[in-house]
Amino acid sequence: MTLIEVFPLTALGLTEYVNLLPVLMLAGGGLLSLLAGTHKEHGHFRAFVVAFAAVVMALFQGNAVLFSSDVSILGETLIFGPFTKTLSIMLLSFSAIAVVLTYGQDKKEGLLAEIYGLILFATAGMVLMVSTQHLLFMFISLEIMSLAIYVLVAMRRTSSFSAEAGLKYFILGGLASALFLYGSSLVFGATGTFELGKISTFLSAHPNPSFVYYLGLGLVLTAMLFKVGAVPFHSWLPDVYQGAATNVTGFMGAAVKFTAFMALAKICQHMVFVDNVAKLEWFQSYIWLVAAASMIYGNFVAISQNEIKRMLSFSTIAHTGYLLLGLYAMNLGSTSPQDLILYLFFYALSNLGAFAVISQFEERNQKDLTLDQIAGLGIRHPFLGALFTLFLLSMAGIPLTSGFIGKYGLFSSAVTAGEVPLVVIAVLTSVVSVYYYLRVIVYMFMKESTGEAVTYQALKGAGLAAMVSAAATLQFGLFPRAVISFVKMISK
Amino acid sequence: METSTLLSWIIFTPLLFGLLVVLLPQRLEQQFRKAALVQTLVNALLATVVYLGFDGSSAGAQFVHLVEWLPDWGINYRVAIDGISLPLVMLTAYVAPLAILGTWPDLHHGAGLKKEKFFVFCLMALQSGMYGTFLAADVFLFYFFWEVVLIPMFFLIGIWGGKERIYATVKFFLYTMVGSLLMLVAIFWLLKTGATEFGAPTGELAALAKLNFAFDGSSLGAALSSPQTLLFLAFALAFVIKVPMVPFHTWLPDAHVQAPTVGSVFLAAVLLKMGTYGLMRIAIPMFPQAAHYFSSLFIALGVIGIIYGAFCALHQTDFKKLVAYSSVSHMGYIMIGLFAFQKVAIAGALYQMINHGISAGGLFLIVGFLYERLHTRNLGEFGGLAKSVPLMAIGFMIMTLSSVALPGTNGFVGEFPILLGAFQVWPVYVLFAGTGVILGAVYALKAYQLVMLGPQTRTDLDGLTDLNLKEIVAMSVLTVFVFGIGFFPKAFFWKSDAALESYGTSLIQKVSSK
Repeated sequence: MTLIEVFPLTALGLTEYVNLLPVLMLAGGGLLSLLAGTHKEHGHFRAFVVAFAAVVMALFQGNAVLFSSDVSILGETLIFGPFTKTLSIMLLSFSAIAVVLTYGQDKKEGLLAEIYGLILFATAGMVLMVSTQHLLFMFISLEIMSLAIYVLVAMRRTSSFSAEAGLKYFILGGLASALFLYGSSLVFGATGTFELGKISTFLSAHPNPSFVYYLGLGLVLTAMLFKVGAVPFHSWLPDVYQGAATNVTGFMGAAVKFTAFMALAKICQHMVFVDNVAKLEWFQSYIWLVAAASMIYGNFVAISQNEIKRMLSFSTIAHTGYLLLGLYAMNLGSTSPQDLILYLFFYALSNLGAFAVISQFEERNQKDLTLDQIAGLGIRHPFLGALFTLFLLSMAGIPLTSGFIGKYGLFSSAVTAGEVPLVVIAVLTSVVSVYYYLRVIVYMFMKESTGEAVTYQALKGAGLAAMVSAAATLQFGLFPRAVISFVKMISK
Repeated sequence: METSTLLSWIIFTPLLFGLLVVLLPQRLEQQFRKAALVQTLVNALLATVVYLGFDGSSAGAQFVHLVEWLPDWGINYRVAIDGISLPLVMLTAYVAPLAILGTWPDLHHGAGLKKEKFFVFCLMALQSGMYGTFLAADVFLFYFFWEVVLIPMFFLIGIWGGKERIYATVKFFLYTMVGSLLMLVAIFWLLKTGATEFGAPTGELAALAKLNFAFDGSSLGAALSSPQTLLFLAFALAFVIKVPMVPFHTWLPDAHVQAPTVGSVFLAAVLLKMGTYGLMRIAIPMFPQAAHYFSSLFIALGVIGIIYGAFCALHQTDFKKLVAYSSVSHMGYIMIGLFAFQKVAIAGALYQMINHGISAGGLFLIVGFLYERLHTRNLGEFGGLAKSVPLMAIGFMIMTLSSVALPGTNGFVGEFPILLGAFQVWPVYVLFAGTGVILGAVYALKAYQLVMLGPQTRTDLDGLTDLNLKEIVAMSVLTVFVFGIGFFPKAFFWKSDAALESYGTSLIQKVSSK
């Protein structure tokens, strides 16, 4: 077999280019933004404008061709249909919010103007990642995304935490990428193809694949579980969340999680949830276990955290657990990932908003806000306090907020699929999560500050990002009908 | 079926006023309480319109308002009122203005206002949630409002409460959450079964009530593993925590003691009834066989609650804690009434919900009056106050009599039918519950004696003022209800008769047919 058969490169036509345009805009916009950032005085502002314009144009362009006919590029490697394009649009909107969130934060934290370009490059990798069905191409997109993210994490140059976080993430992430690549090659060896659709067809025809397939699958799953931050592959997450600049943390919690989880869902759908391969049940049970472990570990460890970002990083592990529960339920019942998409979308918006609020109270190079520091914050800054409360309630899944709708959809489809025990674990650990989310609200509104109170760093970008996220959180919490119907329609 | 937006106005008027208050400038701080009063009066007016328009001869849902919300999940915004929710809505509507009037901040003597805008907003949001819970005719909507109620109450206790307020409010929130989330899982199951049964998902309570879940009562193990039992227990746990039934009651004394007076009044008068209302509306009629199978357990816990609550109340030195434990005790009667599966007892349970709302609300107002004036709740630090504050003494006496269920007061109208009805089914339990009535008289009268009678031990009573006009209005309206319901119960409750009759008949039929 020659390389051209593995990677069938063909010339692209006009429709292919039209569909690829968002990615090209992101890549081109990123390069332009790097150039614009070189200006000595206005570099940051210009880089911001170029990056924001590129993301918004990509967003509009993606919207415009949303329902044009499906296009597959490079054989079946990249598929642009309503489903993948909707995922891209969601990613682009997270990216737009993250770019806005970064503005102002860049000066405060001494971040280089290149941060805007890097966010765009990362987003390009994400868009490719959710659009591909090809294991090798998935690896390439994963690397495009991850390399940019490694740099973003280490971007606070004067902070040693940031450097530590970047290095940790780079080494562990590199290991995960290597596992992914090696695993895909083993899968290729066992099945003769890199394409997910063909792998699942192969498995349907061969109920007893060689052990090489299972080995490869295990490695691929390990890499993806690392990227989504599931227990026991989570150890990088708290340090990276704390060390990175807060805007980067918000972007990671929203977009990277979304991308990685959609990729994991795709891999599981085609490589793990295949009915007639008996031994795959081991892997399904493995996902069940990882889900339960993530929910329990994340929630219980988050209780004892006194630093906000660290607490949120453990809570994100718990959210990964809930999502894995949804993923597991996909296998049992409806195979459509709509509930996962909705949950991820709602969670990402609340998450961005929460970090947008946090970033307005952090000093330069501060590792994290402690609970003592935010005591009385809600009283002194009622508006931001109310926004933060809204985001926390959304993450806790309390009605009025989008987080409740997301959780409701996820858990209800799991119960419908028949997976009650895991849902009971999920709701009971949710009660634990309510405790630590409430604790932040208690400190903000019900305790007096004991001295070292935080100062408000007015950041226009972060304020705007927080307001947009809050509006979305409320809108989707009260009137989610449109977005639910839409996601349901495109995931068919 | 007639449709009307009136109920939606009742639910959302408080919230609209709340948003208005949020937008008002801070310098109008002194006026916010007046806005709250106007809002509660508007709501009382709207509720009266509903009451007058309510057809008492019909057992079905009236004033239905249906708006499509999440049709993909079978969930809609559907509100309706029937003979069971009508008294509770009326209770909420009439207690709210009295609670606001009776806790009017005294700006001349006391300290200034504390975050008044947020306080008033929380009060209004709380009312929206309570009306929504009583009026929801869709299980998802019910859950939605049920949870929404938590948030304003969480802030009311946590920001304006006493010393241990944070502990109390977090405990309150978490206790309720444990129950609610298991209820949520049960709701998923309910909707799933409904979707397979009806072909399309629906959250409408009336439709879901038609579902039959398998129940095998041949042995305890078989009963416990029946789907109906699991669903029943999941719903019932959420509701009995809210009631609260012993042994899930420990959040209540903390929450009550720490809450500001107006919060205590709402908590005792209305919030606790959300639990018994949920049992009456969902847990018992939807899973009748399971409820019947376990009824002796719930009645036993109800009796234990009555006696245990009474003994705890007897030994309290904190006046507010005494009233809180008396709530635990009195809510036990409602549990007995609901689980007796006997028509008279069920009707008594509904009456008792209203009557306990009135008497407990009144008693908490009295505690508030005293605390506002003397800054203590310690029963040992009062004594002989009747000489200085005769009007308050009269009001307190009336509420005490109502609480001990003296014939002629509303308390009797609730407790007597419960005991009478339940006696025919569970005579031994009722015998024990009857001792609770005596114990209730003991602790209530003891509290009255310690506060109002005896020699005056305090030396600083010269400046003690009697009830002011607002407080007199609040207490007199409550008094009207105490004696009005006490002497003419029919005049107040006749509109519920048809609904209670059909509720009791269908429930008993469902249970006895198996």
